[in-house]
Amino acid sequence: MWKFIAKRLGSALAVLFAASLLLYVLVINSGDPLKDLRESNADNREYLMAQRVEYMNLDAPWYGRYWDWLTGASKCLIGQCDLGRNINGVEVSGLLANAASSTLRLVVLATVIAAVLGIAIGVLTAIRQYSGLDYIVTFLTFLFFSLPVFWAAVLLKEYLAISYNDWLADPQISVGTSIAIGIVVGLVLQMFLGGSLKRRGITFFASAVFVPLVLQYSLWLNFYRYPQMGPAIIIVLTALLALSATAMSVGLKEKRVLYPALITVVLVLAMYYATFYMLLEPNGWILFFGLVLAVVIPAAIGRFMGGRLRKAAMSVSIITGVAGAALTIIDHLFRAWPRFLDVKGRPIATIGSSTANLEGGFWDHFLDNGTQLLMPTILLAVISLASYSRYTRSSMLEVQRQDYIRTARSKGLSERTVIFRHAFRNAMIPIATIAAFDFAGLIGGAVITERVFGWKGMGEMFATGLDHVDPAPVMAFFLVTGTAAILFNLLADIVYALLDPRIRV
Amino acid sequence: MSTTNNNLNEPQNLSSVAEVEDAKLAQIHEKPKSQGRIVFDRFVSHKPAMISTIVLIVITVFAFSSIGWGPFPGWWGQNYYHAGAVVDGGKPTLSLVPTWLGGEGFRIGEHPFGQDSVGKDYFALVMNGTQKSIIIGVVVGLVATVLGTVIGAVSGYFRGWVDEILMRITDLFIVIPLLVLAAVLGKMAGASTGSIITLALVLGLVTWTGLARLVRGEILSLREREYVAAAQAMGSKTSRVIFKHLIPNTMGVIIVNATFAIAGAILLESSLSYLGFGVKAPESSLGLLISQYQNAFTTRPWLFWWPGMIIVAIALSVNFLGDGLRDAFDPRQVGKKRRRRAGMFALPTRKEKP
Amino acid sequence: MSHAAPMNEQGSEDFALSFNDLNVVFATGGADVHAVKGLSLAVRPGQVVALVGESGSGKSVTSTAAMGLLPENANVSGAAKVGNVNVVGLDEGKLRKMRATDIAMVFQEPMTALNPVLTIERQLTEALELHDIAYGKEATDRAIELLEMVGIPDPAKRIKQYPHQFSGGQRQRIVIAMAISCDPKVIIADEPTTALDVTVQAEILDLLRELKDRLNTGILLITHNMGVVADMADEVAVMFQGNLVETGTVDQVLLRPEHPYTQRLLAAVPRLSAPAVVTTQADAHSSETAPPGRELVLEAKDLVLEYDMRGKIFRAVENVSFDVAKGEVLGIVGESGSGKSTIAKAVLGLLPVASGTLSVRGHNLPKLSPKEARKVRKDIGVIFQDPAASLNPRFPIGECITEPMVVHKIGSKAERTKRAEELLDAVKMPRNVINRYPHELSGGQRQRICIARALTLNPELLIADEPTSALDVSVQAVVLEMLQELQRDFNFACLFVSHDLAVVDMLADAVVVMQSGKAVEQGMADTVLHAPTHEYTKRLLAAAPVPDPHEQAVRREAWRLLNNTK
Repeated sequence: MWKFIAKRLGSALAVLFAASLLLYVLVINSGDPLKDLRESNADNREYLMAQRVEYMNLDAPWYGRYWDWLTGASKCLIGQCDLGRNINGVEVSGLLANAASSTLRLVVLATVIAAVLGIAIGVLTAIRQYSGLDYIVTFLTFLFFSLPVFWAAVLLKEYLAISYNDWLADPQISVGTSIAIGIVVGLVLQMFLGGSLKRRGITFFASAVFVPLVLQYSLWLNFYRYPQMGPAIIIVLTALLALSATAMSVGLKEKRVLYPALITVVLVLAMYYATFYMLLEPNGWILFFGLVLAVVIPAAIGRFMGGRLRKAAMSVSIITGVAGAALTIIDHLFRAWPRFLDVKGRPIATIGSSTANLEGGFWDHFLDNGTQLLMPTILLAVISLASYSRYTRSSMLEVQRQDYIRTARSKGLSERTVIFRHAFRNAMIPIATIAAFDFAGLIGGAVITERVFGWKGMGEMFATGLDHVDPAPVMAFFLVTGTAAILFNLLADIVYALLDPRIRV
Repeated sequence: MSTTNNNLNEPQNLSSVAEVEDAKLAQIHEKPKSQGRIVFDRFVSHKPAMISTIVLIVITVFAFSSIGWGPFPGWWGQNYYHAGAVVDGGKPTLSLVPTWLGGEGFRIGEHPFGQDSVGKDYFALVMNGTQKSIIIGVVVGLVATVLGTVIGAVSGYFRGWVDEILMRITDLFIVIPLLVLAAVLGKMAGASTGSIITLALVLGLVTWTGLARLVRGEILSLREREYVAAAQAMGSKTSRVIFKHLIPNTMGVIIVNATFAIAGAILLESSLSYLGFGVKAPESSLGLLISQYQNAFTTRPWLFWWPGMIIVAIALSVNFLGDGLRDAFDPRQVGKKRRRRAGMFALPTRKEKP
Repeated sequence: MSHAAPMNEQGSEDFALSFNDLNVVFATGGADVHAVKGLSLAVRPGQVVALVGESGSGKSVTSTAAMGLLPENANVSGAAKVGNVNVVGLDEGKLRKMRATDIAMVFQEPMTALNPVLTIERQLTEALELHDIAYGKEATDRAIELLEMVGIPDPAKRIKQYPHQFSGGQRQRIVIAMAISCDPKVIIADEPTTALDVTVQAEILDLLRELKDRLNTGILLITHNMGVVADMADEVAVMFQGNLVETGTVDQVLLRPEHPYTQRLLAAVPRLSAPAVVTTQADAHSSETAPPGRELVLEAKDLVLEYDMRGKIFRAVENVSFDVAKGEVLGIVGESGSGKSTIAKAVLGLLPVASGTLSVRGHNLPKLSPKEARKVRKDIGVIFQDPAASLNPRFPIGECITEPMVVHKIGSKAERTKRAEELLDAVKMPRNVINRYPHELSGGQRQRICIARALTLNPELLIADEPTSALDVSVQAVVLEMLQELQRDFNFACLFVSHDLAVVDMLADAVVVMQSGKAVEQGMADTVLHAPTHEYTKRLLAAAPVPDPHEQAVRREAWRLLNNTK
């Protein structure tokens, strides 16, 4: 396994090197960096030109300049990056840190969301091939494939962000609108949940009645400006989740799974009170540590109490624990929301990756980053989600025709076990490869998205750099995204090897 | 599993499978059908694909006939370079809502798509952009398909170092995103001549790898087929084996992905033009129009909507067309053989993983 | 047509599996396909009932119906009872509970029947846990026990491995272990040995027989191989085009068949011409030298062939020598991986010769320039195994047949068409198929087209690489007969590669027996196949079942003896 990883890493570095050479040569030959000065008629033209030639080392031959860049960049390995100076003589390394963090946050988040949702939708449409859901999802994926990113971005900005902000200033939903929303939600839900005509009907009517009532009630509470949850709701939701997870995995009769799950629910409540003041003003480490606890403790409980069903007990407890933790966080976010609205009246931003000079504590910055990320992430995720769902669907359909699926059925396994234990893992094998290409595509997408949403990220660095025939920022962009792509590819390779024993042993 | 067709005229009183089969063969009266013919029949019965084909034809005919192309004059009275007086704030005069629904009735008017800020007819501008986008799509599709097919076939057939190089070039696209490479090359093309054809050729140079990988995979499996072995054994030249036996049987993959390449190219061009590395004024394209007028969205939304809608319409139709072709080439009922399904830019599939 | 299937007319008798007037109709895009027409049949515990038929007979549909695994477009009527429960129209949940515990299945293709990403342990224990038989450690112990029972060596260690780490025969054993894991009343074995080599087949059949006796399970054995029927079955049911045409005990059906279809089917099975005596020591047979004056067409001396597997050299054929003269047929027999097809490939120029000589009419192939080699190839015709893959799907039949003329630029267009028509006559196909496409023909018909193509240029040498192993028995008979006839007429030399000793015996004058790349025995067909000296040849001969239950019983004993003395 280690040998395999080392080999992949080695060839990836070679590709990275070749790509850097190619890109460098192409960029410096893509135009004349002195063009604007040549055409200018400023008095100190000669001086400015000399200065730029010096900054960019234009007197040296191309291989000399590339060598300078390469030696500077390879110092990154020892933590002393020297990525050269841009056209204005500013050190690129200094500009990089901020730009890289905001871009990578965007791309990684979009990748994760797209992969998780896309694969889920792909599996669902494969199971219900040729259903109404399948046709609608197919049409939507084709639509997303066909959308120019920047065009969709402008629409999203206009219709989602700006209208939401306008609406939030004075949240109102008329009765008619809420009934219409209820009907739409009902239609969508019955399509996703499926089942017999009767079950679909019940789903539809229940949500068509329930949703408008909830909407009106939440308006009455002024929920959208002053959201609240409180421990009671957290505990009810967590318990419901624990019960349904148990019912779906082994059935409610199985005490060995049910009890650990219910104990976890009680622990969630205890933790809620225990951590309440700490979480009013936390930091990243506390949250991370909390998440670890939310996984480890329920896992331990499940393992000790599960007996022969310990695997099921562990997973049900972990799901319960993590959900409880997440709800606790959401509760705190709700508490912080009104204050956040005071500092930032129009929360969903359309420009920039964070609000400058924002006053406030941890949660305010958390919400600020979140709301700034929201639009570009939705956009990138939706477009990439389309390809994930499409590939997962065809891969699942492919696998379902294999002989071993028939063998699994002939053992009497339920359809769910056949799909998740036997089909899903095999279907994921090709997806691991596609993810690597998709990641590269998303970085390309980020270049456009950053332009639309006015981010000062890597994409912007690339676009302006290229525009000025300025290799240093372009190469810095390449270094970060290329390395990220290689790491991601490596991750995909490892997943691939984990999924497929044929290349492991 | 039985695939016999138990019609009324099923051969009776036979007691051997061979006889039954021969009797059936003697009874077929339909005309012999080639593979191409079968695919065509299936394609024609694929509704979304047929609708898309019609939409595409209509758009293309409109784009080229309305304002004319090259020396051929068009039937639309106005052109895209003459500025004029801005009438009614440049609002579109097109109306499709009938009067009895509270609209202004069906009307085309002087400037159906409105006018831009200097009073140019927006319909003519959009049609001009559409022409350019279609030309780019087709040229990129052709270049990428020819390159991808030949390189993929050669590397799949000979393997060895050709194959090694192809795989490394594909790895390159994991490290340098397609859009980035295309932007750099697009800028170079723009710096040298600035013509649309140059841009299209350059884009073709970067989009062939996906198809090459797919063709390679297909050839790798086809070359193990016995009819290929038979052709080699009877002394056929390598070129005959590749061009007569292998490539015709990969036509499905090639045609399907050529259509996806066209859709991808149109979108790629629009993205590049948006970033400023693609088509530059005075030339025009749909992407450039959107980029020019995105800030006009709140004041004059039509300047933004029309080019965008047309890009979406073209790309969506081409994608559906490709999907219909894929279904036509790859009927599910053929059975167990695993098929490669690919999408835009022909991403790799499991089998190709080394 | 006999419908008297449950022959013992006691309604209350405990059948492990019984069908009563089963009908299966598939709704397709065109006309409905009536795959099974009113089938009645019963399997008692501890009994093996063989369901025999060729492709399209509906035998696999019948078994799939019993498992309740038919696709959704299947319309099933009548009854299929497992024990006393009718599974036709049974609720999916109840059906699932019955699978593995009441009715289990062994599939044809062991290479694909196991999930490649799960360990053997997981795949074995999940059925045990699902049906509440054993859990956790206990289930693993039970699974190890099962593996031991089906003869997997070192089961405690190997249970942690993945399917790709087992050979084909072992995988089939694992599939069988899976099938017996929950003590089913009946096992449906759907062509369980078709994909396996003949010696492995004999082992798997032994295993099935032993397990059946030990567990008192009923077996519905679906097969097209009459030898397997004679070896295993107590009763036989013959299906043809969806109908059950004949049922009876194995003696009745195999020795005194009544229905003309059964009679013809049995007549079509190739047999070794004289009983192969394997227990006695044969006297050293004379050397192969044939009468002088033989006109040698193909000659191999110390032939060595190698594959390059990513830098690793794998030697597929080692120091093999043979020759074939005009009008002669040389059979090369062996199991998969023996290198027999590799030799055919080398003669066809698809694989370079590593060392030794390989000459066609005196021209040593490895030494020829490409141009000369092309000239030599003109005199070689070829037929491959898979009729579905050996014709280019884009060429009409006429072009397929005349392709060699096009390649070697022989004849005008009219002459080519004329030649194609002559050849179609020769292979007894109607002339009007000339414009049809391969997909419009059946497997046997396509194989006849392949023969026609091989003969287009009147070759001196015909290479036939397993030409009939993908065909049904009766179709195989037609094709073999045709080959014999054509060889008489055209008088070509023939290199005939096959795994089936009976087929080789029927056609070949001389035989080479291959095992892992080496020729272990060679000589005249009569000597090698009827008085073998090498242990491996004896094993091969003893392992191949014959379609006569009495003779097969004797042979089975001999096979056991041979294995025990090994």
